Amino acid sequence: MKTIKDKVAKLSFVALLMTLSAAMLYTPTASAHGEKSQAAFMRMRTIHWFDLNWSKPVVEVNETMEISGKFHVFAGWPETVDKPEVSFLNIGIPGPVFIRAGSWIGDQLVPRSVTLELGETYSFRVLLKARRPGEWHVHTMMNVEGGGPIIGPGKFVTITGTMGSFTNELTTLTGQTIDLETWGLSNIYFWHGLWYLVGVAWLVYWCRRPVFIPRHLAVSAGKLDGLITDGDKKVAIIFFVGTIGLVLFGMGQANSKYPVTTPLQAGLMRGMVPLEMPEVSINVKVEEASYRVPGRAMQMTLTITNNGDSAVRLGEFNTASVRFLDPEVYQDDSGYPADLLADAGLSVSDNSPIQPGETRTIEVTASDAAWEVYRLSDLIYDPDSRFAGLLFFFDENGNRQMVMVDAPLIPVFI
Amino acid sequence: MSASQSAVRSRAEAVKVSRTFDYLIIWTLFMVLIGGYHIHFMLTGGDWDFWSDWKDRRLWVTVVPIVSITFPAAVQAMAWSRYRLPFGATLCVLGLLLGEWINRYLNFWGWTYFPVNFVFPSNLVPGAILLDVVLMLSGSFTLTAVLGGMAWGLVFYPGNWPIIAPLHIPIEYNGMMFTLADLQGYHYVRTGTPEYIRMVEKGTLRTFGKDVAPVSAFFSAFVSILIYFLWHFFGNWFSQTRFVQST
Ligand SMILES: [Cu+2]
Repeated sequence: MKTIKDKVAKLSFVALLMTLSAAMLYTPTASAHGEKSQAAFMRMRTIHWFDLNWSKPVVEVNETMEISGKFHVFAGWPETVDKPEVSFLNIGIPGPVFIRAGSWIGDQLVPRSVTLELGETYSFRVLLKARRPGEWHVHTMMNVEGGGPIIGPGKFVTITGTMGSFTNELTTLTGQTIDLETWGLSNIYFWHGLWYLVGVAWLVYWCRRPVFIPRHLAVSAGKLDGLITDGDKKVAIIFFVGTIGLVLFGMGQANSKYPVTTPLQAGLMRGMVPLEMPEVSINVKVEEASYRVPGRAMQMTLTITNNGDSAVRLGEFNTASVRFLDPEVYQDDSGYPADLLADAGLSVSDNSPIQPGETRTIEVTASDAAWEVYRLSDLIYDPDSRFAGLLFFFDENGNRQMVMVDAPLIPVFI
Repeated sequence: MSASQSAVRSRAEAVKVSRTFDYLIIWTLFMVLIGGYHIHFMLTGGDWDFWSDWKDRRLWVTVVPIVSITFPAAVQAMAWSRYRLPFGATLCVLGLLLGEWINRYLNFWGWTYFPVNFVFPSNLVPGAILLDVVLMLSGSFTLTAVLGGMAWGLVFYPGNWPIIAPLHIPIEYNGMMFTLADLQGYHYVRTGTPEYIRMVEKGTLRTFGKDVAPVSAFFSAFVSILIYFLWHFFGNWFSQTRFVQST
């Protein structure tokens, strides 16, 4: 007997372990560091994030911080990715370490999916309320149906304090003030617990007498009498009526306790208002572009025509959130993530101001380890070997013009 | 080995051994169900059961009963035709719920910190009791499929309403109306579950106005009947004893 008991104990333990590991298989978090593994052309030719600002590097639990900036929806959207007709402004964080207290495109709150137009630029901001202490990489992120997540740059934000002090107080349209963090929790435990007990009671009723072997022998021998007694039938009817009664009671009680309820809200939001961008008076033609694999540098020959009325200089090339700057023209002090900022990564063969009416052909080199670190050089292995990015020109008053470039890219291996 | 050479020497000992086997089998069966039924349900019901902002009156009501009647039908077929035991559905559902609660509590809350009031599972116990009682009283799988399957589908929404009703209170938030469940989905960021994946309130049942839940429940109940038929055959096949011809 003792050995059988030991076996039962051992088997149960093994089964429990197996169950736990099966349950562990599923974890609904996405890693916040998928940014580098995403195909380079996805990051270069879909959504261009710029003018980003993470409002605070350190926040305490219950405090808020904001990520704001702009994104340009690239007109040469790749054929292999679905158009951003159904898109969702998300935020790339490892689970709900912040809650998303609000997110806006332009002035419109965007809790739902939206339609974006190719070639337009939008402003956005995401308001986050700190919930769980730690150091978290916070990315901008746009999900596109049929295209997947398009991850923007990430920056570390530190949350201090304790999660236990986090509250999420809200006032409903029925006038109640609730804490969404725990609202309805005891009600959930109560009903699940109660129904579980009903189920266990039914099981225990049948397991009080011999369960498997004698019943199996009786069924095999065709001796069905006595396996289900009249008393069993009475108990079954009680369970049946009791179940329906409890369901009706629960429903009636819920309806009287919460007389006002509404269905879940869903639906696509159209008509996002794009940003009015200043008139572009600079014309850029990409004569040729190559990526020099050994030197980790991209070289472009650009013919630039200035049709405006003030002289301009090229200050920045931004592709896939990596920013190459010419420090003589433009320096960044917004606290942009350092690994994505090549603050002297842009060199121009002749970066003297291009006068109004002037046309000049220049050699532009964007070089930085970021090409490798962010695996942008992988784009030479893409099915459609093209690059794209934003060029920013500045005049002496600091006015900025943004010009898109999009051209084939030839790799140079030697 | 003949009966006279049995491993047990007295009736009392036989009873004891039989009882030990009862516990052994039921425990093992329960554990296998936690694993198998749970994985099946995660793959088919998935997000509808994970998140409160998927528990709507159209698709959740329709999908969850249909995909969850599978294992109860199969285990009922085995337990009833082999043992005349009418607890197959309840055993399945208790296993599933235990597995789900372990997963939701340890993984969703303990590991990823989603609040439990956002990730609780659906309640399937009322339907399971009705299914078991109908089988026991009728003794017929056809009647159980029709009446039990119908009851399984119909009782699902009212059986869950007391749990989800508090989360369907409306709230105004930054100039838009949400239910609290919607707001949970918005607040507690799921990086891998963008809003457009959420399949709620979609469908063509628009002519029924706001009384769409009963219509969805009837549709679900009807399909549940069909699925019950199919899966009780699976249960029969799996519980057959076949012997190899000795040479
Ligand atoms: Cu990251």
